Amino acid sequence: MTLLWLRLAVILYGVAALAVLPAALYNRPRWRHIALPAAFMGAFFHFVSIAETLYAAHRALPVDTHETLSMLGLLLVVGFLILAARYRTVSFGIFLLPIAVLLAIVPAFHPGHEQIAYPLVRTGWILLHIALLLAAYAAMFLSLIASLLYLIQERRLKEKRAESKRGWLPPLETLDQIGVNSLRFGLPCMTAGLLIGSVLALQSIGPAFFADPKVLLSIAMWIAYILMIYIRSNSGLRGRRAVYLSSFVFLVMVAVWAANSLSAVHRFKTP
Amino acid sequence: MRDLPIDAAAPPTPHNCKLLLLGVNHTTAPIAVRERLAIPGHRLADATRTLAHQPGIREALILSTCNRVEILTVQDGIDQENAEVRAGLQAPTLSVIKFLHDYLQIRETDLEPHVYEYRERDAIRHLFRVASSLDSMVVGEPQILGQVKQSWTVGREVGAVKTMLDPLLQRAFSVAKKVRTETQIGNTTVSVASVAAELARKIFGSLAGKTVLLVGAGKMSDLTARHLIQQGATTLLVCNRTEARAQVIADALRTPAITTGVIPLDQLMEQAHRADIVITSTGAGQVFTPESARAVLQRRKNRPVFFIDIAVPRDVAPEVNKVDGCFVYDIDDLQQVAMQNKAVRNREAEAAESIVTREVARYSDRISQAPVTESIKELLMGAEEVRHQEMARIIHQLAREPLTPEQLAAVDRLTKSLTGKLLHPQIAALRDMAAERESDD
Repeated sequence: MTLLWLRLAVILYGVAALAVLPAALYNRPRWRHIALPAAFMGAFFHFVSIAETLYAAHRALPVDTHETLSMLGLLLVVGFLILAARYRTVSFGIFLLPIAVLLAIVPAFHPGHEQIAYPLVRTGWILLHIALLLAAYAAMFLSLIASLLYLIQERRLKEKRAESKRGWLPPLETLDQIGVNSLRFGLPCMTAGLLIGSVLALQSIGPAFFADPKVLLSIAMWIAYILMIYIRSNSGLRGRRAVYLSSFVFLVMVAVWAANSLSAVHRFKTP
Repeated sequence: MRDLPIDAAAPPTPHNCKLLLLGVNHTTAPIAVRERLAIPGHRLADATRTLAHQPGIREALILSTCNRVEILTVQDGIDQENAEVRAGLQAPTLSVIKFLHDYLQIRETDLEPHVYEYRERDAIRHLFRVASSLDSMVVGEPQILGQVKQSWTVGREVGAVKTMLDPLLQRAFSVAKKVRTETQIGNTTVSVASVAAELARKIFGSLAGKTVLLVGAGKMSDLTARHLIQQGATTLLVCNRTEARAQVIADALRTPAITTGVIPLDQLMEQAHRADIVITSTGAGQVFTPESARAVLQRRKNRPVFFIDIAVPRDVAPEVNKVDGCFVYDIDDLQQVAMQNKAVRNREAEAAESIVTREVARYSDRISQAPVTESIKELLMGAEEVRHQEMARIIHQLAREPLTPEQLAAVDRLTKSLTGKLLHPQIAALRDMAAERESDD
C-alpha cells in the first residue's frame, strides 16, 4: 500500500512537472490549474507514503538513503507550493518538480532495505536532526534556483527582448527576496539540526565523532552558509556572483551528503 | 407536416424579433461627431429607458465610450417587403435614428455617413468582438469589457435588457473572458510610457514605495513619470538645469500620496543613488557613464537601477547597460519593445477572431434551435394530454372489470410507445426545418 501511495505521488509529480511547462513558459492558466493541484495531491500522497513506511517499520525516521532522498523531494515540492502561494509564481516548478520526480522514483520502484545500527532510530531528536537538515538542504537548493532565475531574468532584461506582460519569470526583486529568505529560513534549520546531531553524537559515540570527515565537512558547510548570508545581506550580492557563491555552498552540501560513504560513524546503513 | 404553424401572436421568440446594432466608432466618425453622440454616465439610464420605449423596440442597450457609441436593440419582426423605407433606411433603423434625433438633436443627414449597421448574426459577431476588445482602437485594452458590463447593468436596472439581450450579453462576457484567458491579447503593453512601467515592474515587482528621478524636463519624460506614479511609485525627485522649472514639475505632480523633491544639477551624482528609476531627457549627452553608474550602485548596495533614457543625444552611455544591476532602455529600445508587443497582439488577435467566430456560430445555432425546441415541447405535451385522456376513458369503461396493475402498466407502456413512434417523423421534420432555415439565413 505504501508503495502504491508513493507511485501515485510520483505520477502526480510527473503530471505537475509536465503541466508546469506551458503554465510557466507560455503563461497558460489552464495548465497552472492542473500543475498546482497535481503537485499538492502528489505531496499529500507522498506524505502518506512516508508516514506509512515509518509506521510499518516501527521507527520514527527515514533511515534508508532512498527514503531520505524521497523526503527531500517532498520538501522541494512543499517549497514549490509555498512559493506558488506566496509569490504567485510557478516558474520554480520547472526545476523543482522534475527533481522531485527523480528523487521519489527510485524508492517508488526500487525500495531499499537498509537498516540503521544504533537504537537512536526511535528517538524524536534524531528525526528532528534529519528533518531540519533536509529542510536546510531544500532551502539552499531553492536559493540556488532563485539565483539562477535571477540571472536568466537579468539577461533577458539586458538583451531587451519583448515578451508577454506577465512573462514566465518573477521580477528580479521577487527572485532576490526568494533567494535571501530561503537562506534565512535554512540557517536556523541547519544550525539547530547540526547542534541536535552533535549532542546526540556526544552522548552515543563521544568526542571521537568530531574527527569524522562527514562531521568536519558539515561544520565547513555551516560556516560557508553563514558567510554566504553575511555577504549577500551586506553587499547586496546579486546576479552572477550570487550564483557562483550559491553554487559553491551547494557543492559543499553535496560533498557533505556524499561524505556518508566515507564516514565511519555517520551512516545511513549498517556497514 | 413541415409547415407546423407557430402562433403569430406568441410571445417574442428569436424568430419573430430582430436584433439590430447601430453605431459609430473611432474608425467611422471623427471626434466632432462622436462627442455629439456621446451619452455621459449620469444620463445613460434615462437614455436607455427612453430608447426602450420607442415604438417597435422590445429591448435596448446603449454603449457610450470615448471611442464608440453603439445602440443594440431587439425590435418586433418586420415584413421586409412592406417595411417603411426612407432615405434608404428601414423601419428598425429609422426608429433608432429617430431616437438619436429626438434625444440628442442630431439630424439624420449628419449621422448617416458615419453609422454602421449590423443585423442578427452580424450584430452578435460585432458585439462579441467589441466585448473582446478586438474592435478597440488599442486592440486588447481591458476597459471596454467593463464599459459593456456597465451598460448591461444600467439596461437591466431600467428594464431595457430582458430575455433576449440578457443571455446575449452574458455570452459576450464569457466570450471576452475566453479570449483573455486563451490568448495573450491583453498581456502586452504598446505605448512607450506603459512599456517603461512594465519593464520597471519586471525589475522591481511592485512599484509601491519606489523613487523616480526625473533628470531634465520634457513631455515624454513627464508622461512616463506620471505613468510610473500611477503604477505605485511614491517618491518623485526632479533635477533640472533651472531649479525653478524643476520645482514647477515637482509641484505639479505632488499629491498627498506622492512625495516630491528637487535636486540641484550639481548634486545629481551625490543624490542619484536615492532613485530606483532614473528618467533622463536633458539631451546634454553622457550624464551617466559606467563609472558614475557603478558609484551609484555601490551607494545603493547593488540594488538595481532602471535608467529610462528618452533624450537624443542619449544621456546614459550604452555601456552602462553592461554594469551588473543597471538596466538601460533608450527611446529606440522602448519603441522597439512597443512595436514587438504590437506584433504579438496582432498575432493573438487572429486567434481571438477564431474564438469569436466559433462562439458566434454556437450562439446562433442555439438561438435558431430555440423555437423548434419550443414547438417540439408543445407537440409532446399535447400528445401526452391526449394519451392521458384516452387512458382515463378506457379505465372508466372497464370499471366493472378493472385491469390488474400489471395490465395497466403494459397499456401505459404501449400508448407511450405508440405516441412516441407516431410523433417521431414530425419531430424529425421540425428539426430539419430549423436546420434549413439556419442555412438559408
